[in-house]
Amino acid sequence: MNMVQALNSTLDHVMSKDSSVILLGEDIGKDGGVFRVTEGLQGKYGEERVIDTPLVELGIVGMSVGMSLMGVKAIPEIQFQDFIYTAFDQIINQMAKMRYRSGGGFTLPMVLRTPYGGGIKGGLYHSQSGEAYFAHTAGLVVVTPSNPYDAKGLLLSSVESPDPVIFLEPKRLYRAAKVEVPDEDFRVRIGEAAKPMEGDDITVVTYGSMVPTVLNTMKKNSVNADVIDLRTLLPMDVNAIISSVKKTGRVVIVHEAPRTLGMGAEISALISERAIEYLYAPILRVTGPDIPFPYRLEDYYMPNETRIMKAVNRVMEFR
Amino acid sequence: MTEMVNEQNEKDVYVRAYTAMVLSRTFDKKIVTAQRQGRIGFYTPSIGQEATQVGFSMALDQKDIIFQYYRDVALMIHRGVPIEVILDQIMGNEEDESKGRQMPSHYTAKKYNFMSVQSPVATNLPLAVGAAYALRYQKKDTVVVATFGDGSTSTPDFHAAMNLAAVFNLPVVFLCENNGWAISLPTDKQTKVEISEKAAAYGMKGIKVDGNNFIETYRAAMDAVERARTGKGPTLIDAISFRMGAHSTSDDPSKYRSESVEEGSEKDPITVAEDQLKSLGYLNDSLIAKIKEESVKIVNDKFDIQEKIPPPEPKTMFDDVYAEKNWIIKEEEDDIL
Repeated sequence: MNMVQALNSTLDHVMSKDSSVILLGEDIGKDGGVFRVTEGLQGKYGEERVIDTPLVELGIVGMSVGMSLMGVKAIPEIQFQDFIYTAFDQIINQMAKMRYRSGGGFTLPMVLRTPYGGGIKGGLYHSQSGEAYFAHTAGLVVVTPSNPYDAKGLLLSSVESPDPVIFLEPKRLYRAAKVEVPDEDFRVRIGEAAKPMEGDDITVVTYGSMVPTVLNTMKKNSVNADVIDLRTLLPMDVNAIISSVKKTGRVVIVHEAPRTLGMGAEISALISERAIEYLYAPILRVTGPDIPFPYRLEDYYMPNETRIMKAVNRVMEFR
Repeated sequence: MTEMVNEQNEKDVYVRAYTAMVLSRTFDKKIVTAQRQGRIGFYTPSIGQEATQVGFSMALDQKDIIFQYYRDVALMIHRGVPIEVILDQIMGNEEDESKGRQMPSHYTAKKYNFMSVQSPVATNLPLAVGAAYALRYQKKDTVVVATFGDGSTSTPDFHAAMNLAAVFNLPVVFLCENNGWAISLPTDKQTKVEISEKAAAYGMKGIKVDGNNFIETYRAAMDAVERARTGKGPTLIDAISFRMGAHSTSDDPSKYRSESVEEGSEKDPITVAEDQLKSLGYLNDSLIAKIKEESVKIVNDKFDIQEKIPPPEPKTMFDDVYAEKNWIIKEEEDDIL
């Protein structure tokens, strides 16, 4: 199945098992969400559990926080991550801080789902990658799957997480690939990276929408790369990164979000602090540029094979 | 109007309410003085809002959930939150429920169904709406309350919460404790219409009430709470009072405000309550004096005891960010401590 089908069947499974799960968001009911992730669920579980809300992101997140405080497991959907910013205060000041500010008295086991990233001709308000904003906030867990299998495993783990999770769905990959997803329950552990390709010459750290791009590039150009798919951005799997860097001594980081203060900056700093003596070359980042996302020119915005290989070659050839 | 209390109980209920108002006033004065003495860092007093808070509290059940703001000491006292719990938060000591993490006046009192206060105003309102949705879904007969000041009515969170509560017909009561000021800005610079009138735009009932009169506030609250409890939906109460002091101990109202209300004047809600209860025969001067004396003793004694409690252990600051510490926090804890 594809990622949309994997997410849909996982939500269905979770709702059938636990009557305290409630979904809410814009157009998620009869319409099944603009990407159809919640298709059919309102028909099955009713309007009380799959709530079509008025058009108000801060209200969707705020309500979800209030619901979760009362023991309901809220799984809100924000239609596009670009629209999340009006709910930013609710995420940063309420969702992320409730456990801390109540001394552990109030907890928020909720999962905030939202599609993010470009590649669907969405222009600058339907293509943003804001993961760094969330990964900068203590109290949140931030995950992003790169394939249908991980989408199911990560979503099940997120629903069981005692902490609030930002679940970022790379919309470009929603229908990009079909893979075998087991019917039975399985978990992808939060905080654990995957290594979809093993190699000795270079480490490429990436996540979410860029994973297939990186893998295709490495295969096509016969690069002997260790590819790390982070899957969790906060807290990221530092051991997976460092142990790979110690093996290869060369690093390229690839993400779609803009470079300045993006995830790549943090990954690069972690490597410098822990494994600088293993490095043969500077750490390079291949990212979106520090400009708003352009509509007609999105192919130039997003990291592609050419840009990735340019960085890989620079790192490989550095002496 | 709903039968409020039977006549035998009315005296007890009213005198208890008055006692809570006096205790709150005494507490506020003590803390403001303590702040001037450098014994407390910051405080937002409730002076002038005691009748609003206590009158409202009288209409609630203990099981009802309060998403309060940072100026609700009289409400907390009347709901039975011990003075010690309030003091522990203000002092940020090791017995503080939030472990000394929030600045003073940001209370959490879970056992008493008070949630946890945040600084950005009105962001508690959408939470109250969600809580009400969840409680109705769970078939619980619980009313959820959000309190806030008149400044909060300018925020997107206020509009979002009012709209959502009305659309879903939820058991919520929104209590605007309208003391006339949002720090330095008077209400007429905050809104062009009466706050109670805003309710109509969302399709809910709006009630304007004299928040200096605890009995009138009680009646309005009974009406709103009953509507919520019987499935008739949310209500917005605009309780007009008068902020007798400063916004907080960091504020100097003489810069922007000419008139003031003296304690004991006819605008003071406690004086109003005394006149009401005297005319009902429930209070006399000697009982008033006794209640006031006892309040001072309670507050002074408890302050002296709680003040001696040490701050939380430094290592506790790394707790409760997550259910379990992740490696980042563990490393930073080792590094700093």
